[in-house]
Amino acid sequence: MSSLQGYVDRERLMETLYVILSPVLYIDRVLVILQDGRVIVGTLAGYDQKSNVVLSDSKERVYSTDEPVEEIPLGLYLVKGDQIVLIGEIDSEKDASTDLSDVRAEPLPAIRY
Amino acid sequence: MDTSSAGIQEPFDLIRLSLNERVFVKLRGDRELTGVLHAYDGHMNLIMSAVEETIMVVEPVEGAPHSQGSVNYVKRKMEMLFVRGDGVILVSPPSRT
Amino acid sequence: MLIFSVFKTLTDQTVIVELKNDLLITGVLKSVDQFLNIRLDNIQISDEVRHPHMIAVKNCFIRGSVVRYVQIPADAVDTQLLEDATRRGSRFCYKRCPKFPD
Repeated sequence: MSSLQGYVDRERLMETLYVILSPVLYIDRVLVILQDGRVIVGTLAGYDQKSNVVLSDSKERVYSTDEPVEEIPLGLYLVKGDQIVLIGEIDSEKDASTDLSDVRAEPLPAIRY
Repeated sequence: MDTSSAGIQEPFDLIRLSLNERVFVKLRGDRELTGVLHAYDGHMNLIMSAVEETIMVVEPVEGAPHSQGSVNYVKRKMEMLFVRGDGVILVSPPSRT
Repeated sequence: MLIFSVFKTLTDQTVIVELKNDLLITGVLKSVDQFLNIRLDNIQISDEVRHPHMIAVKNCFIRGSVVRYVQIPADAVDTQLLEDATRRGSRFCYKRCPKFPD
């Protein structure tokens, strides 16, 4: 079991490294919109043919009309491809210049077939 | 049977004969389109031009149940449109009225 | 397959993609795949006041299954060619499909 523990620690170390290094290495942050209207930002750590994606250092952005945008940390997240509406590349300068505490908006509507 | 004739053997033949004609399309979400049909495929993906979309919106009336709300029609025009087939309920050939 | 080919001819055109959550995204069509997933560059959300969620997003990948409409420039398609290809396409399909022998 100790060998497994090694993996866990390395995983955690890699994640920490990612968080620290991603702004330095210009690793692109992405914004993912889900079918239920949720908005998640994170670093694209991987994806596959079915557009399943792995996001590291991810946060959910919760929008509301009478409160500032709340960012809820989610950490390492696997999002199933069929739940995804859109994946957008974030312009980090523009994102940094937007003060989320000033933003008020309705949550995005869910997809309705 | 001669299947190469212009006769109608199966549902899609009806749509094929509507190419370059104005058709009526009913969509999910209380939407309707009229427009000239230019292309379609087996998923009922469509490409149409000179499209007019009508959306039915039920405005809730104060103190009345939802089913008795007033109905509004919102119209919109688009010159060339791809319509994804999964939203299509029916395609009707040009009316002969 | 026909529609996929049509979209391929529309690359580098400005299109308006309407999603099934009523979001309208204008952008330059960069690529499309067989599922009609779409890549848009230089995107702009209509009604950005109501939908500021993507203000910092410059390009995106849209899943084909969530698309309701794509508005395309009328002069970018040859409608005659489209109709001919559609007629040919359906006949071609019948010929190759064992359920519908000639």
